[in-house]
Amino acid sequence: MPLRVKVRNAESGATVEMELEGENTIDDIIEGAAGYWEKDAGAYVLRRGKRLLRGQQTVAEAGILNNDELELIPDPEGG
Amino acid sequence: MKQPRILGAEEIRIEERQPPPSERTKPHKWLSAKDLEEFKRQEKEGYELYISKVAEEKMRNHSLHFAEMQKEVMGLLLGWIYKNGGKEYSIVKDVVTTDLESSSVHVRFDRNAFEKLFVSLEEVGFNYLVVGWYHSHPGYGCFMSSTDVYTQRSLFKSSWHTAIVIDPVNKEIKAFYLDGRAIKTRNFAIYWDEYENPYYGTRVKKRELRSDPDRVASSQ
Repeated sequence: MPLRVKVRNAESGATVEMELEGENTIDDIIEGAAGYWEKDAGAYVLRRGKRLLRGQQTVAEAGILNNDELELIPDPEGG
Repeated sequence: MKQPRILGAEEIRIEERQPPPSERTKPHKWLSAKDLEEFKRQEKEGYELYISKVAEEKMRNHSLHFAEMQKEVMGLLLGWIYKNGGKEYSIVKDVVTTDLESSSVHVRFDRNAFEKLFVSLEEVGFNYLVVGWYHSHPGYGCFMSSTDVYTQRSLFKSSWHTAIVIDPVNKEIKAFYLDGRAIKTRNFAIYWDEYENPYYGTRVKKRELRSDPDRVASSQ
């Protein structure tokens, strides 16, 4: 049964609604959303509330539920 | 296995709003004489960036705290964007950070400390956009290194995104943004909300001392 989630881009406020399968990974979500916004997927992390969603976890393992709101957070590097 | 499918998308609408008035703005105290001149020159037309006193103090204190250890610090700028007369400007209301992996020439968030950052984001108390980032160059001056430029191009491409660079050793601060492929400096103002104004309420009425002896006695 596919799930629907909303992903918010914290640095633009834009949102996408996504349909996911239980076996999709967090990396798939980040790549899907970042790709849509033409961003570098490797420069972001995804959060659900206070929890970091780790890249290789599946949607089922991460406990993502239908209608969840996730947020893409920039992960900058300075030098 | 099917890849995630995008069903729909939404962008934010940028509303018109007056920026903080000039009586509640001031230049940053670490601006160079040349930047201060630029600040004054731009005062009438307004700025593209306003940083709250609270956010400015947090960034400055963060960079100063690690200055002696010669370590860079970093965090995210939280605020919103608005338009005034069709011209966009951003407000930085607060900043958030977490534990860092840092040296004198490099900084990023500690891979195991994102949840501490997310707790701060959950507790920030207002609807935010990450309008940019700040980091320090302890003793090296304020400029955008190649790593900084890469970050700006990958994450903060919009014209209203800002990179604040602070040198706590030389007491310097600059704001940068991306204009196409070029990095440019941006003038900015520090603002405070009315309730934060130390001179809020201009008169102080002398308090009358109570002269009811019973009241004094009963309270002893």
